[in-house]
Amino acid sequence: MTTLLICLGVILLLGIWVMTLYNRLVKLRNNRENAFADIDVQLKQRHDLIPQLVTVVKGYATHEKDTLDRVVAARNGAINARTINDKIVAENALSSALAGLRVTLEAYPDLKANQNFLQLQEEISDVENKLAAVRRYFNSATKEFNNAVETFPSNIFAGMFGFKKEMMFDLGGQRQTMDKAPEINF
Amino acid sequence: MEYIGIQAQKRRNDFRSMLLLFMFPCLVLGMVYIFFLLLAWLGFIEEAETEGHFWLSVNSVYLNSVPYVLGVVFVWFTIAYFLNTYIIKVSTGATTLERKKNKRVYNLVENLCMSQGMKIPKINIINDESLNAFASGINERTYTVTLSNGIIDRLKDEELEAVIAHELSHIRNHDVHLLIVSIVFVGVFSMVAQLAFSTISSLSGGSSKKKNDNSDGAVMLVLFLAIIVALIGLLLATLMRFAISRKREYLADAGAAEMTKNPLALASALSKIAKDPNIEAVTREDVAQLFIQHPGNKAEGFIGNLGGIFATHPPIEKRIRILEQF
Repeated sequence: MTTLLICLGVILLLGIWVMTLYNRLVKLRNNRENAFADIDVQLKQRHDLIPQLVTVVKGYATHEKDTLDRVVAARNGAINARTINDKIVAENALSSALAGLRVTLEAYPDLKANQNFLQLQEEISDVENKLAAVRRYFNSATKEFNNAVETFPSNIFAGMFGFKKEMMFDLGGQRQTMDKAPEINF
Repeated sequence: MEYIGIQAQKRRNDFRSMLLLFMFPCLVLGMVYIFFLLLAWLGFIEEAETEGHFWLSVNSVYLNSVPYVLGVVFVWFTIAYFLNTYIIKVSTGATTLERKKNKRVYNLVENLCMSQGMKIPKINIINDESLNAFASGINERTYTVTLSNGIIDRLKDEELEAVIAHELSHIRNHDVHLLIVSIVFVGVFSMVAQLAFSTISSLSGGSSKKKNDNSDGAVMLVLFLAIIVALIGLLLATLMRFAISRKREYLADAGAAEMTKNPLALASALSKIAKDPNIEAVTREDVAQLFIQHPGNKAEGFIGNLGGIFATHPPIEKRIRILEQF
């Protein structure tokens, strides 16, 4: 009789322990998703600024159709992305396209003096700064989640419950602002 | 290392806040009891004169007063809870910083908060050319960071960012919460002490005019008030020790360095601040605790005299040296 009770007690304790681990994983995952929601806000602002940017640039840089098309295509791709991981990939593509655009715009000093362009430049710069800040929080939330998924003992159950290591939002340390050209090493 | 430090600090601060809040009514009740005891001893309670009825009558008078005392305590708590930000704002002459004209400052604060997942606090400004800043507020709704004109104008972006990060660290650690609770707490006793003090001075001034049969009573009253003042002084000293911790400043510096990933910026900001931290509007020692560097002339008065051991901030050279080693 007592052995039965003890066994039941042990099973109960184990159950509670597993439940705590599971709950922790859930909380960390939700924390990460919530952090990405904040990023979404900044990304949307960036998406909204791009059409305006394209319009202003078109007036001055008539030969840069290809580059502009690349930017617009990347933007549309980013808007259509659904899951967090897809969005990360799409937004990184958009950032590269913007970087490419910036390089080509170096050749248009008239554009750089345009009031509209300067204001857009400042607004995009603002958004990029905020994006950098929320990305940092997102990355630390991702780190916490990944730690929980990979360390012992929760790693035993993470796979069982369907939690896996997630990716960080890494732009490779480069912030894409419209006023500074990236360094190009040949 | 910092992560563990911050969590432990938060828990410690929360525990101390609760302790202070709990001790407050207990201490007030205790002091009221002593008050009634002394009154009875001095002969002001008639039923106590008769033999054998001393404790009984003192206790009954006391128990009758308890609901009123608790009522007053409760009212004080409510007032302090809702008005503390206003009181600090008024005593430092701070005003809300306009967002439209100060995009630079708002951007710095907002970006820092976003990178920490913190809710952005209110931002106030003090009209003073010296460099200083502080954080106040007791909950998410009332948390405020106040910057002086001087610090906004004279620090570079990365230095100002570091100072703001330091204040945000204090908010995140719940340092600010504990500090405000203790200020409110200590503030009441300080008021009572000053009241008792001025009563003593007026009594000793007027004792020669009293009639003879009352002079003994007057002397006793003076003595009893003096004892109360002394007790309060001891109490205040202990309480402030409780809330003050120089370690807090080091931890906030570390938190700022972690937030900005740029410890040298804070070091350079601190050295600029050290040259001119004096904020004219601040005369109370307990409010001075809130600032990033002690705002100049030490306050006069009851608490100020207990001075030296209670230095609220560690020496600035040490703080800079630690940051440079980061």
